[in-house]
Amino acid sequence: MKNFSLYGLPEKVSFCKLCVISNQRPSSTIEFKNSDGKNKSGIAIDDKGICDACSYTKKKLEIDWKKREKQLFEFLSKYRKNNGEPDCIVPSSGGKDSSFTAHILKNKYKMNPLTVTWAPSMWTEIGFENFNNLSKIGGINNLLITPNGKLHRYLTKTSFLNLGHPFQPFIHGQKIIGPKIAKKLNIQLIIYGENQAEYGNKLEDNLTYYMNNQFFCVDDNFNFKDIKFGGKSIQNILDEKNFNFNDFGAYLPLRKKEVLESKIQMIFLGYFEKWDPQECFYYASENTGFKPAKERSDGTYSKYTEIDDKIVPMHFYTTYIKFGIGRATYDAAQEIRNNKITREEGKNLVKKFDGEFPKTYFKDFLDYIDISENEFFKKIDDLRSPHLWEKKDSKWVLKQSII
Amino acid sequence: MRIIPRLDIKNDNVIKGINFEGLRVVGNPNEIAKKYYEEGADELIYSDCVASLYGRNSLTDLVKRAVKDIFIPITVAGGIRTEIDANLLMQNGSDKLAINTELFNNEELGGQLVKKFGSQSIILSIQAKKISKNSWEAYKNFGRDKTNMDVIEWVKKMSVYNFGELLITSIDADGISNGFDVELFEKICQNTNIPIIACGGFGKLDHIKELKKYANVDAISLSKALHYKKITINEIKNFLKKIDE
Repeated sequence: MKNFSLYGLPEKVSFCKLCVISNQRPSSTIEFKNSDGKNKSGIAIDDKGICDACSYTKKKLEIDWKKREKQLFEFLSKYRKNNGEPDCIVPSSGGKDSSFTAHILKNKYKMNPLTVTWAPSMWTEIGFENFNNLSKIGGINNLLITPNGKLHRYLTKTSFLNLGHPFQPFIHGQKIIGPKIAKKLNIQLIIYGENQAEYGNKLEDNLTYYMNNQFFCVDDNFNFKDIKFGGKSIQNILDEKNFNFNDFGAYLPLRKKEVLESKIQMIFLGYFEKWDPQECFYYASENTGFKPAKERSDGTYSKYTEIDDKIVPMHFYTTYIKFGIGRATYDAAQEIRNNKITREEGKNLVKKFDGEFPKTYFKDFLDYIDISENEFFKKIDDLRSPHLWEKKDSKWVLKQSII
Repeated sequence: MRIIPRLDIKNDNVIKGINFEGLRVVGNPNEIAKKYYEEGADELIYSDCVASLYGRNSLTDLVKRAVKDIFIPITVAGGIRTEIDANLLMQNGSDKLAINTELFNNEELGGQLVKKFGSQSIILSIQAKKISKNSWEAYKNFGRDKTNMDVIEWVKKMSVYNFGELLITSIDADGISNGFDVELFEKICQNTNIPIIACGGFGKLDHIKELKKYANVDAISLSKALHYKKITINEIKNFLKKIDE
């Protein structure tokens, strides 16, 4: 079969020399404009063989964190209200990163954060416990938004069947909900934890603490019915299915005009505080009652990352199928950069765990999106890019792997 | 009651996690071991916390070096899969070995090692995760994988191999400093006569008093409180003398 990527990624897979990520790792896309998932750009690997995320890790060593801390105190003084009203929103699922972010903003930076949670598609038991503990033990106010579950299931199904991206509706909601609530509650500041550039979006994204607003708002003349889920516009969905426009209320982003008029800014704490996911885990364990999962997640060795939604293991399984990058690769790359494990160890972990089938919540996933096992596996095989996969002895194997 | 510091080792460092997760570096194993020895530790446990994960065992050199200036019994845990692994560690100065993960593939290994090195040298290590009230599951691979084996059933099943001691660590209490899982140790004591080393959760002296109320354990093992200098071994020993009087 012809060698090409179904997703517009380079035909030749190359791996970063310092971590385990490959050039197939797609950069963040504006999900609601994502029509077919075919024009992705991968993480850049420079002529020395080093990926953007690792280059940024090196750059981090030169940052004067004391100075950044001071800068943040000054920045926040423009927003601090001290009148009982929340003065910033932290989008949060109750995971370690947002728990750290909200708690440190309240206790060190003396802000009054409101965490806003876009509910996971299917809470895990530990995820729900951690979510509650951030309030019960961490002492943080929360607003939980649970979107129309019937619609969310349909959108998840469509995203899986059309793009192999069952996590897309959640990612969409998680990005737009902070600003949306900020506008309603007259809050001007939204604070995220780490910048995605920590994991390999464009290097220059880390040079500023502001998040580009194109990820969370739309142009003033944009027709909401053109918003896409699984490549299908709301208009198409309304034409075909028994949903009405009101059902989509929670999913509609702000318009640019509203963002500018309300002076809503979105920033990253990771610009000001040295970001280290494991240290966030320690901090959250000690301060907000965060607990790791009771066992490692399918497809990886770790117990502390992205454990709140039963759909997450499936999300990483689809990245493994589409890009050859599974959950252990993501985890190991991050831990190598943060000096927790060596590259050799990372390679071993990738070999051992990457692409492990997400069996724990497989049935839950099939029930949630209401498809059969046969339909699922057929779809999975359709998602395999010819340049990545070949069949050997009736088993699919990666043609270009790090091992 | 013996006091046994536990050193979780990853490569060249002592690390300390929470609930068996996380790799935060605490310091140099040789320096830390020597310090605890000099402060009056009765024994030491070296636990290679990534041995099962990477399918290796890297503590031989560390033990070899430790025995030059540490003269208390040393137990090595982590990644002991064969008699050859065990031999290598024992020849290089380990006094005891604690095994867990491999027993779920090959439970005979327990019997083999006891036969070869004697009951007093082979410890059954169990990583216990609380499932519900009065029920715990044994975990393997440094607390990462389920085994579907009930802890009490496992203790009973393994008793035929004559392990000299049980090293029981509560995964839920590990690194939390909020007290031992006393119900776990109470339940195990009711079901075995093998001496028990209780591990996981020590945060302050009263936690020992609480533990002793419910369970007759032979030793306690601790790490975080010592690593972060919340307590000294001497203080624990003085406290034990006081409550035993």
